[in-house]
Amino acid sequence: MQSVALIAQCTLEMKGTVVDADTREPLGYSNVVIVELQKGAATDESGNYIIKGICPGNYTVRVSHLSCESKDFKLEITADLVRNFELPHSLNELKGVSISAERQKDIPTQAVQEITGEDLDKTRGSSLGESLKGVTGISELKTGSSVSKPVIHGLHSNRVLILNNGIRQEGQQWGSEHAPEIDPFIATQLTVIKGANSVRYGSDAIAGVILVEPAAMPDSAGIRGELNLVGFSNNREGVVSAIAEQRFEKIKALSWRLQGTLKKGGNTKTPDYYLKNTGYEEENFSWALGWNKPTYGLEVFYSQFNSSIGIFSGSHIGNLTDLQAAFDRDEPLEQSGFSYHIDRPFQRAEHELLKTKGWLLTGTTGKFSVTYARQYNLRYEYDKHRPLNDALAALNLPELTYEITSHSVDLLWEHNSYKGFTGMVGCSGMTQGNTFEGRKFIPNYINNTAGLFVVERYRKNKLLLEAGARMDIRELTVYEKENGIVNSYEYNYQNFSGTTGVIYDITKNIRISANLGTAWRAPAVNELYSDGLHHGAAAIEIGDTSLVPEKSWNAIVSAMLFDHSRFAIEISGYYNLINDFIYLKPVLPPTLTIRGAFPTYRYEQADATLKGIDAMVRYHLTAHTELHVRADIVRAFNEEANDFLQMMPADHFEYGATINLPEWKKTKSNHLMVSVNQVLKQYRVPDEADYVAPPSGYVLLNAEAGTILTFGKQAIHLSLNVTNLLNTSYRDYLNRFRYYADEQGRNVSLKIKVPFQFAKKN
Amino acid sequence: MKNKNIILLATATLIVTNIFTGCKKDDDDPTNPGTPNESELITTAVLSFTDSAGVAPDVTAIFRDTDGDGGAAPTQFDTIRLQNNTTYFMDVLLLDESGSPTDTISNEVEEEAVDHMFFYTQSGVNIATTYLDSDSNGLPLGLQTRWVTGNVSSGTSTITLKHQPGVKDGTQAPGETDIEVVFESRVE
Repeated sequence: MQSVALIAQCTLEMKGTVVDADTREPLGYSNVVIVELQKGAATDESGNYIIKGICPGNYTVRVSHLSCESKDFKLEITADLVRNFELPHSLNELKGVSISAERQKDIPTQAVQEITGEDLDKTRGSSLGESLKGVTGISELKTGSSVSKPVIHGLHSNRVLILNNGIRQEGQQWGSEHAPEIDPFIATQLTVIKGANSVRYGSDAIAGVILVEPAAMPDSAGIRGELNLVGFSNNREGVVSAIAEQRFEKIKALSWRLQGTLKKGGNTKTPDYYLKNTGYEEENFSWALGWNKPTYGLEVFYSQFNSSIGIFSGSHIGNLTDLQAAFDRDEPLEQSGFSYHIDRPFQRAEHELLKTKGWLLTGTTGKFSVTYARQYNLRYEYDKHRPLNDALAALNLPELTYEITSHSVDLLWEHNSYKGFTGMVGCSGMTQGNTFEGRKFIPNYINNTAGLFVVERYRKNKLLLEAGARMDIRELTVYEKENGIVNSYEYNYQNFSGTTGVIYDITKNIRISANLGTAWRAPAVNELYSDGLHHGAAAIEIGDTSLVPEKSWNAIVSAMLFDHSRFAIEISGYYNLINDFIYLKPVLPPTLTIRGAFPTYRYEQADATLKGIDAMVRYHLTAHTELHVRADIVRAFNEEANDFLQMMPADHFEYGATINLPEWKKTKSNHLMVSVNQVLKQYRVPDEADYVAPPSGYVLLNAEAGTILTFGKQAIHLSLNVTNLLNTSYRDYLNRFRYYADEQGRNVSLKIKVPFQFAKKN
Repeated sequence: MKNKNIILLATATLIVTNIFTGCKKDDDDPTNPGTPNESELITTAVLSFTDSAGVAPDVTAIFRDTDGDGGAAPTQFDTIRLQNNTTYFMDVLLLDESGSPTDTISNEVEEEAVDHMFFYTQSGVNIATTYLDSDSNGLPLGLQTRWVTGNVSSGTSTITLKHQPGVKDGTQAPGETDIEVVFESRVE
């Protein structure tokens, strides 16, 4: 480290404006404090502040406002400085989460929930699906213990849109056994927008959108980063993840970031037995380079995700007799001890994303940006048994290979506040090619899409109004080799989407929001073209090339009541009408094959409704004790068949208590948390659509303890977590392996986070 | 500072390497698909019965579904018709007739006898079945069996082939089902 310079001239001044990140409105009476100097100022009515008598140096500036979360900014002051700050709005005032992302954000009029800071730390080491299940209205669709997908208000896969660093994730989303190929460690914020949201993000957002967002590139000089270590007892899993970033001192515009994650877990253990071949491995990394000037900038981001996932051996069945036998047994017949070895059946997935984004301030009127992205997704599926033919078996080839390559371009112009209006106009285009090798399930195709949208928002006092519209076209061409000749089939879809919403602050403590939105989804290729045995499901599935896009009409109303020191209540009700909802309908008779008769399903369309309530109540019993109750309730109905929809989440309740303990010696942020998760039995299932009745409800006990240790300036975050503390045996309706095996037993995890920093001291 | 330079150098190296080697490419052309390769199919089961005494005529019963699971319905599904009070030798032949040339899957089953076993379940029909072959561990295989018929009766004969790698123990429970065909059967 360089020696501290002579007593520098402490005559510098910093001034600027503090605005609401969402509305761009100036925030009067907010505080701007230089933490190291204990020096600060309050903003005037127009949000302006000035701090004088600053010595040159690296500082943490804490900006706070009554109705916003306080936020820290790192910056270097070497000369007089004009610096404007944005503060995100807080929806839930009781939790002091800090948001590190610094950018203009749309606050959607749909129900929105974010996981950041300590809440995100608690999920570290888990997959994206698992990380999100703490959000009200979200459940987890699982295939065994290693594949997890987020379910929003009862819908998942193709009906939930995931944006990875601003780019639509184009992977293999059609099957419930295909988890999103995303490393949650790249994100400093996970955002769930519940409700139809096609206008801003394009088709498929029937149930909602999940945003996986990295922090903005660093805006002060020095190297800093974070090391995360996580260990899980149940499957003896270890996770190492590290991130480092720097903004250069001499070339101020230049910054970089490097991030990587390694993960390895062995066989999962239920309370009574190990699940054979359920290990997994992940190797991921990403890097980013930024060149950011005050009025323009360019950023390049690259990420790679690689995973191998063992599929539980006992789930591989030949026919219905096997399935029935598996279900009749209390424990799987094929068992094993603990092992990290991944054998057949397994799947290997790779995902690459290259993103380049350039932006330019268009004078004082707004900001223009252009983004290009290339994604490459590769999936290998290996069946349980190699072919009987020795020559074929020796090759040890995957039985199924898919490759999807997507190129997309987005243009966006966001305009600054003009007479209360803010908004954006944009267009996007994508071209995508899919190829397969091996067993046929999804044919080759080329998919081209284009969209044009505009969203405007008007804010006056306590009222925010939003309206938007979008037009999309989609051209899908399927290529099939039939009797040696390649035939192509073209499908054209176009759709108009709209959204309108309102947010109104009735009083300082009550906010209501309402949104009416539409979304659409063109039939996926598997829904058009499946024709054969779906091995995992032991069913014959038959596609229909005459399917039309499904279209949702979604209304969501939310109310938030909060009192700073006592309680926060957030409740949303939604009603989602989906015209031409695509689903699998049982057909009779079952299909006769050499392996016996298989139940047969055909993709059909019918109008469906999904309605429900998400609620979260937090109550401060004492200054240090917080209680919370969460409820997720979904009711899904096929209006034409007059029957329930299949695979819908059962009613879910959570009750918890958090005790915040005082600082003690070198520890701070000490807390204990106990929660009880209750999932009721799902009675609302269609007749004759499943082989076996849904499993019983269950109650799980979880506990957590956390602290931050400080050694000098070095902080170490520690958290000890136990899920299924009582080692309860249970099965979950949303796990496809419920036919074969119990869920994971007790799992103790230890999470260690070590932030580090090498900043030059002047 | 040394640390800093090392980190910087490592980062630069990684990023540069990645720029040149990182992006993988799909070498296949979406507009020119290959032929789907069903890794292996069993389309046809042929049950051949011969009278051990050489008196009663030979009997053949066939299940044939040449396009595999789903798609078109099976093209042939015979009833097993055997003479009463007769002892038959029965041989099973499994074929993959989906491509050309036809692949004889039962040869592969014989090669991997330690991982496979046939099971015969008679229901309502007066037939007793015994194994005539075994694998190298001395457990039955079932490609060759003896069928002894009793009085005139009718019902079903179920033939099941289980794939039991590493778990074969002479019982039907372990492993997964490769074939399961329920033939109508009559003793006349």
